[in-house]
Parts: sequence; C-alpha cells; structure tokens
Amino acid sequence: MKNRISIPIVLLLFITGLSFAQIDRSVRPKAGPAPEIKLGKYDSFSLKNGLKVFVVENHKLPRVAFDLVVDRTPILKGDSAGYTEAAGELLRTGTKTRNKDKIDEEIDFIGASLSTSSTGVYAVSLKKHVNKLLDIMSDVVINPLFKQDELDKIKKQMLSSLAAAKDDPNAISGRVRNALFYGKDHPYGESMTEESVNKINLEMCKNYYETYFRPNISYLAIVGDINKAEAQKLVEKYFGKWKKGDVPVNTFPTPKPPLVNKVELVDRANSVQSVITIGYPIELPKASEDVIPASVMNTILGGSFLSRINNNLREKHGYTYGAGSSINSDKYVGSFYVSTKVRNVVTDSAITEIFNELRKMRNTKVTEDELQTTKNYMTGSFARSLENPQTIANFAINIARYNLPPDYYKNYLKNLNSVTVDQISSVTEKYIKPSNCNIIVVGKGDEITNGLKKFSLSGKIDYYDIYGNKYDPSLSKIPEGVTAETVLNKYIEAIGGKENVLKVNDKTTKLSGSVQGMNLTLTIYQKEPNKLYQVLDAGVFKQETIFNGEKGKITGMGQMTEMSPEQVEKMKAESSLHWFLDLDKMGVKKDLAGMETINGKNAYKITFTMPDGGKIVRDFDAESGYLLREVNTMDTPQGSFTQTLDFGDYRDVQGVKYPFKLTQNVGPNTIDLTVNSIEINTGLKDDLFEVK
Amino acid sequence: MKLKILAMNHKITPPARRRRSILIFLLLISFSFVFSQTRKIDFVEYNLSNGLHVILHQDNSTPIVAITVTYHVGSKNEEPDRTGFAHFFEHLMFEGSEYIGRGEFDKISENAGGQNNASTSFDQTFYYQILPSNQLELGLWMESERMLHLKIDSIGVETQRKVVKEERKQRLDNQPYGTLQEEIFKHAYKVHPYRWTPIGSAQYIDKATLNEFIDFYKHYYVPQNVVLSIAGDINISQAKKEIEKYFGDIPKGSYEIKRPNTVEPPLGGEVSDTVYDNIQLPLVVHAYRIPAQGTPDYYALEMLNTILAQGQSSRLYKSLVDKQQKAVFAGSLNYSLEDPGLFIVYAVANVGISPNDLENAMQKELNRVKDTLITKEEYQKLQNQTENDFVTSNSTDLGIASSLANYYMFFHNTNLINTEINKYMLVTREDIKRVADKYLIKDNRVVLYYLPKKASGTK
Repeated sequence: MKNRISIPIVLLLFITGLSFAQIDRSVRPKAGPAPEIKLGKYDSFSLKNGLKVFVVENHKLPRVAFDLVVDRTPILKGDSAGYTEAAGELLRTGTKTRNKDKIDEEIDFIGASLSTSSTGVYAVSLKKHVNKLLDIMSDVVINPLFKQDELDKIKKQMLSSLAAAKDDPNAISGRVRNALFYGKDHPYGESMTEESVNKINLEMCKNYYETYFRPNISYLAIVGDINKAEAQKLVEKYFGKWKKGDVPVNTFPTPKPPLVNKVELVDRANSVQSVITIGYPIELPKASEDVIPASVMNTILGGSFLSRINNNLREKHGYTYGAGSSINSDKYVGSFYVSTKVRNVVTDSAITEIFNELRKMRNTKVTEDELQTTKNYMTGSFARSLENPQTIANFAINIARYNLPPDYYKNYLKNLNSVTVDQISSVTEKYIKPSNCNIIVVGKGDEITNGLKKFSLSGKIDYYDIYGNKYDPSLSKIPEGVTAETVLNKYIEAIGGKENVLKVNDKTTKLSGSVQGMNLTLTIYQKEPNKLYQVLDAGVFKQETIFNGEKGKITGMGQMTEMSPEQVEKMKAESSLHWFLDLDKMGVKKDLAGMETINGKNAYKITFTMPDGGKIVRDFDAESGYLLREVNTMDTPQGSFTQTLDFGDYRDVQGVKYPFKLTQNVGPNTIDLTVNSIEINTGLKDDLFEVK
Repeated sequence: MKLKILAMNHKITPPARRRRSILIFLLLISFSFVFSQTRKIDFVEYNLSNGLHVILHQDNSTPIVAITVTYHVGSKNEEPDRTGFAHFFEHLMFEGSEYIGRGEFDKISENAGGQNNASTSFDQTFYYQILPSNQLELGLWMESERMLHLKIDSIGVETQRKVVKEERKQRLDNQPYGTLQEEIFKHAYKVHPYRWTPIGSAQYIDKATLNEFIDFYKHYYVPQNVVLSIAGDINISQAKKEIEKYFGDIPKGSYEIKRPNTVEPPLGGEVSDTVYDNIQLPLVVHAYRIPAQGTPDYYALEMLNTILAQGQSSRLYKSLVDKQQKAVFAGSLNYSLEDPGLFIVYAVANVGISPNDLENAMQKELNRVKDTLITKEEYQKLQNQTENDFVTSNSTDLGIASSLANYYMFFHNTNLINTEINKYMLVTREDIKRVADKYLIKDNRVVLYYLPKKASGTK
C-alpha cells in the first residue's frame, strides 16, 4: 500500500521472524465477483377479524417464531404512567383457564419462550410444539384474566426497578433525554415514577387491554419452519375467535427542537464519567424520501466505528471508549442525537469536539471517498441482517405499518447506492442543527459545571433530577435528622446559649459603611420585648425608623410613613432581641426549606411564615450554626423586591455572639456595614421608642 | 435487570456469543416425543505446517462469511503486576501492520462492507470479521497481517491506554454492580490468576512497556497458539488455498508457550465480604468453586444451572421473584473455565427486603436441589429445554465458527458441536443432586453482599 499514513513519532516494528514471502503482501486482495443479495420471500393473508399475517418460510432450523405487533397510536398516561406496561406484563400472568404457574410450566415444559408487552406478544418454539405454543399464546392474547395479586407483584417489581435505575447513569440519561426532547406532555417524554406506579389500578389495565388489543390494528409475523398453508390453518384456528373493535386514534402536537442551545445537567456526585447526549427531536417519518440519505449522513457522522465522531473522540483524543450518533425516523416524531461517555475532566473538550464535527458536517461537503466507503459498509450491514429470517418479517411489517412502497426493501440497495454528495448536504442542512441542541450531561457537577456554561446561549446551566424535573440546585438534600428545630437550637447554642441570650434586655449597635461612594452611619436601639429605634445618617439623607411594639413609622426626606399592618407583623417578629425564642408565641411558623450554598458555606434554609402569611427566609451555617443570611421579599407599589442581608464576623459581647460585618443587597446596590460597637443593658428608656 | 458478566470487547457492539446448552436424549421418561431433526454441522479441520489449526464450515445460504481467530491467551497468562495486559494488547491488534497503516484496519473492513470486533476473557482472545463472501481473501490477508507483523506506534499505545481506562470506567466504575465479576473472582481465588479479571487494573495499563508488548506478541501470537475458524458462504478447496497463501508462511513461534499451572487449593472455609456500591437494592451472591469445563461433573452442573435459572418456572425465579417477591432478579451462572471455575448464584433484593432475608430464601432453594431429587416432570422439562437450545443454537455463521474454535481449543474435540449431546445424555436426576451436594456447600463458597453506600449523591 503506497499511501500509508506516516507517523511522526517512533515506529516500532514487530517481526516474528524473517518472512520469505511467496506473495506480495503489500497488495491488498481484490474482491471476487459481488454475490447476489437475495431477499427472502414472504406470503401474507388476513383474517376476517382484520389480523394481517405475514409468513416467512425458512427451514434452516426446525423452529417457528410468532411475533404479534399491536399497532396503536401513542397514549399519554399522565399521572399513572406505567399502566400500559403493567397491562402488557399482566397478559402473561393468567387467562380464564390458566394461572401464571400453569403458563410458566407449560411454556418451559416445551422448551419454548413467550413474552408479552404493552404492544405485542412474542413466542417461539420447536416446530413440533407449535400447536401447544399457539394454544397458550392465543389464550394469553384473547382470554387474559387480570388479577389484583399479579398486578401487585408487577407494581412491586416496577418500584424496585425504578429504585435500581436511580444509580444507573445510562438509565437516567435515557429518561431525561426523552423528557427534554419530547416534553412530559408527550407520550414519548413521560416516564414512570414511584408516584405514577402507585396510582396504577386493575381497571385502567383492563380498559387498556379491552380498547387496544384488537386484531384489526395488529400484525402477526410468522417465521421459520412453516409454509403459508400450515400457517393459515393454525392462525384461523387460534386467532380466528379474536374479536375486532373500534380503536381510538390519539394525536399530539409535534415536539420542536429548542430555540437555542441549552445545557441540562443531572448532577450525580459519584460519577466518574459524564454521560453526554446532544440532540433534539426531528420530523422524519419512515416513509420520507430523506430516510436513506439521512441514514447515510448519520453513518458518516457517527453511525459506525469509523465515523467522524468516534474517530475524533476515541481514536484521535482518547476521551472515550466509544462515541456515536443516531438518527431515528418515526411515524410521529423522531430524534437525532450524539452520545458518548467520557472522563469528567474532558467533558467540555469532548462537547467542543462534537460541535466541531456537527459544524464541519454542515460547512463542508463529504468526500466521494467516504461516501463510497459508507455505502459499502451499509450494503454489508444489510446483507448481514438477512442472515436472520426475522429481518424479512420485519420488512413486511414495516411496509404495511408505514405505507412504504411494496418494493421498498427490494430497491433499498439501489437507492442506497444512488445517494449523492449533494443529497448528503441537503439532509445535513435539514437535520443537523448545532444551534438548537439539548446538551444533556449526567455527571459530577463539581468537576464539570465551569466548563459547561460556555455551551449554553444564556450562559446558564439548567439542573434536572433523574426524572427530568427541573430544580434549583441551591436547594440540595438535607441530611437525616436535621429539622428547623435542630437548626435553630444549634444557632442558639452557637451564639451563647439561651441563658445568656435571655439576659439581654436592651442593645445599642453602632455601624458605619458606604453605599455608592457615600459614607453612612447606622445606629440601632433595641429593647425587650420588641421595641426598635433606628437612625440612618448618610449626610445628605437621614432616615429614622421607630417601632414601639404595636405600631411604627418611618421618616426621611421630609416624609413620614406609617407602617402597614404587614410591616408591623414583620417588625414584631424581627425587632425582638431573641425573636428565635418566641416564635411559637408570636404565631410564626418555621419550615426547613432545603440547603443552599451561601458565600461558599453549606447552609440550612428556613422559611419563617408570619401569622398574616408574610415570609422571611433565613440561612444558617450548617457547620458553625450561625445565621448567615436573611432574605426579605417586600411588596411595594413599584413591584416586589428582595432584600438580602448577610452576616459575618461573629464576636462575643458579654457572652452573646453578634455579627460585626453586615452586607445588604437591594437590587443592584450593595451596602457593606461594619459594627463599631455593641453595648448591652445600658438601661434604654421606653420613651426613646415612642411613636408620636 | 439481568447482570452481565462479559468478556471485554474491543468495541461497544459485543459479538453475539453465548454459552451453549445442549440437548440430551430422553432416557427414562414415559412420554414419547418425535425428536426434532438437529442440524448437523459439517466441517473440515487440519493444521498448517506452522501449527495453525484451521476449521472450515460451508453454508451458502447467505452471501457472507465469518472469519474468527482465537488466540489461546487470556488474562490468566498475565503477570500479577500487569493485569489487564492481554485485553490491552487486544486493542493494539487494531493499530496496524507492515502493510496496514494506523487506523486503516477498520477502514478497510468497513469499506469492504464488513463488521469486526474482538474480546478478551480469562482464557482466550477472540477476533472476528464478518464480510461479504467475495471478500474472504481480504479478511484472510488482514488477519494474517496482524498475526505476522503487527506494528504499533507510540501514539496508538498512548491513545489506547486512555480508551481502555474509559472502558473500565464505563463497564465497572460508573455502573451499578459493575465490579461484581471483579469482586467475586478476587475473593474466590488466592493464588490462581483467575483472581483478577480481564479488564485488569488501571494502574498497570500505564506501566506496560514496548519490550513487554513485543515479548507478549512473540510468545502468544504465534500460529501454533491459534485456531482459525471460518463459517459461511465459502468454497472449501478455494478457502484452503487462500489460507495457505496468507498464513502458510507465518513462522512458528520459538518460545514454549507458558500455561499457568497454578493449582488453586480448596477454599477451605466460607469467604464472606461486603461491597458498598452506588446502588439502591442489595445484591447477594454465592460463588461456589467447581471443576474445569469438560470434566465429568461439568455437564451435571450445566443441567443444575438450567433447573435453577432457565425460564419463569425455574426454581430461583419461581420462588424468589414470583412467589415470595423477595427479589427483583434471581439467577445462576455456570461460570466454567479452562481451569476450575465458579458456579454463581445471585439475587437482587426487592425494595424493603434485607440481604439476610434474601440469602435465606436463596439458600432454601439451593438446599432443595441438594436434599431432594428433581421431579420426573422437571427432568422431562429440563431435557426439552436443552433440546430446544441445542436445536436452535448454531443459527449464525459467527456463532458456528466461534463454537467450533471453542470446542477444539478447550475441549480438544471439534465434533462436540454435533455430539456433545451424548455427554448430557449421561446426566441423571441423581447426578444433578450429587453435584449440588458436592459443590454447593458452605466451605466451598464465597458470599458477597452488595450494599448501598450511605449517602447517595443523585437527586
């Protein structure tokens, strides 16, 4: 071979001995004359009840397989997702004359196998047992008896499988992909959850079976050691009694790709690899003329070992054991996606390379050479698939199901081999959309999020749980045993204990700081039970707040405002020197709302709800117990705005620890305040807090 | 939720290889069945002068040919400080040869309409190609090229080190129960090289040096250590000529091939341990030491495995999954190997079932096969199941080619593909009880519990 790739580094030659070649090994053997690829024939017939039957005769093995396909439209299962699957499993658990034990014993006794699903039944046995097999199979299809105890078993198994899938990154990735591609309001996007499985009942399973398991929407493919005449006799005998019925046709809006690229992360702390999926839904019905050119295009891009994506990610960069893409045609909505698994540290590099390949596919034409190689490869795949006689049966079913031309598969190789470079460009243009991708990663957030942000147009990462529900990552899981009560108790202990806190009767706090270059001072007087007087002096601007425990007012810039009843409620709860001891008395409810990270510290978030429904959120340091942040949401005529106040630098003042550093954020403004002094029990007079 | 205990493959698509289970004739039963005509597999076999063993099977029904090359070297030939070496070497076999440049191997294969892959197990390294039948010569040239003068460059080695480490993560470290095979064998063997598994340890993958690769290649990748088995749309005499043309001049290796002769002493008491993994449902596994494949008790153990685990009426499924609902999956595996292997019984707990409870239920089923003969009905069922499996195996060219090679290499009798049934014929109900009694005993087993790690990191 003349054009051998030359390698820049060291070449190592392993020679096991001298070879006295009788042949010129440098010459690659030429192919012999191409063998004819013959498609096996099939026969077909229909029963009066509408069942369409295909027979593929193949005597290589003395066995016959029966594949029944119920061709219904998709169904949205909603809050009881899983009931169609349960109905499919129930089919095999009992008929009017056989219980599950009997079915199991009879099937195993003839060395056969029988499996059922929500959209079909598959059975296979040796030829000599075919009568027995069909007796059981047709019984299961026509006379099932759904029983509660069998449904209970199935639900239990489903719940266990769901539990097991929680730690399977591939299962998670598949489920989240469906939810994000198709949306949870589409049958392809919904998935089982513990809640939905618990809602499944026998009635819905029965209804499903009664409605959809009908011969007039079904196909039966028979493959193996059998001819048409034998098949016809058997099918009449065993499936002739199956009653047809009106079957509803469901329609759904077609899911669309995202408008811009989005990064969607399932954060999994123990992942050592990122499972990456990049893609979107497409409209590509099986009967579309684009199907063959699109599958050639996909094979070049990521559909074989040699494909651009695998070659780049595995052979060039060593990021992965394997990478690829798939384009899926579907009657209702199809999909295109690239998928791979890579070590955490190269997650963003791998995604960059994938996008490079997607763009390259769009921006440059494929070469004649790689097109020809791909056609050869696909021709070979087609030929290999014919080794299994089931393939011909599948062809027959597809032709009927998707209204393909009757000679679709006969002409497949011809059509495949006539695909041109320009056709590849046109399907690429149509189906490869590097700016409309869901970029879904199941991986370890800590190690990969920084690198991922750049792929999202908004610069943000959306977080999803393993069921494809969006969540706010700042609320992560709370350890067992932690409640709002324990968090508050820890806080009280941290600042000096209840006894010391209760000794404080009044308190004077002097702070100074700056906002937008303006210096300010703040003096706060507090006295038990909940009196407050506060003076804010920014030179040009002065504001006083007075609260006597019952009512209050705010004055500043020559204006005076009475506190609203809502403000009064909040002041009552906030002005107390030990508000945290009097929550029950004041009718304040507290709820542990989650965990979040505040300035790099893990914190418990507690929502305090006032008797009138107003809320204050406070975050407590999970480690030290200190209060780290207070968040007030205020409704004003200008709309609601949020004010956060961060606390730090806790210091001891007569046995009680107070924050000496405060940072307030309101909108875009940040005010840093430093405590200059705190004085305790100086005997503040009541008239200081009088509201005139 | 079946657990996969597989050989390591070169690529993601694994070759369709299954353990055989084979038909036995009815002996004692009063029912009489008409036997299905079993498909006789005709083959020719011979040695080239360099010791390469060739097996050919002709079947012209589909215009494809499966070429398999089995090297009698696996992870048990590795040094303890080079675990994973055989599998890593398998990856390098795709890197190129004197006349096939780096990255060209797959290009040539796909361009010819072919499919290829490879796998490494404890005892062997297996390569295959399926090609359109007019490309047989090309396939022979490619396989002879990498047998004769494999060529590896440092870029290829460094890339494959990374790829193999990702393969390990994907299969083991990032998969629930992914380390099961590794943990079982680690606990079941103390001195025999089966104590590590083909994927090996990531740390050793970095250590292997060029000289070691050369040495390994010279030692094991030599004609007298290889079976070339071909099935499909071929003409036998033409194929023979082409095989001679491409393989005839490959020199015989000069080393005497090392076969590990370590005899693992009896386990000498139950070994039990707990593995904490990123899982939700506990898994309990018993692994019992058993004799090597092909020894007299091997066939009875295969039958025992079928009784325990094949079909929904099987003992373990019926009892643990269906009746008691203690398990979401229960099964067994006769993991027999060239040297003494393991009989593995395992179950994954349903939500809320403790591993102890599950193990007790599992143990009860094992006690049943030890204490009482299987019923005549069950025996009949067992025979029908094995008949079905036997008759319907050998359905693909690749399956036939690899079975032929396997029978020759490990059972020293290629014709077992047609006659192994006779070995099963000799297994009686008493034999099944006897092997259960003999091997499924406490002192002969490893018990592993897979339990959830306390904190789960995923929402």
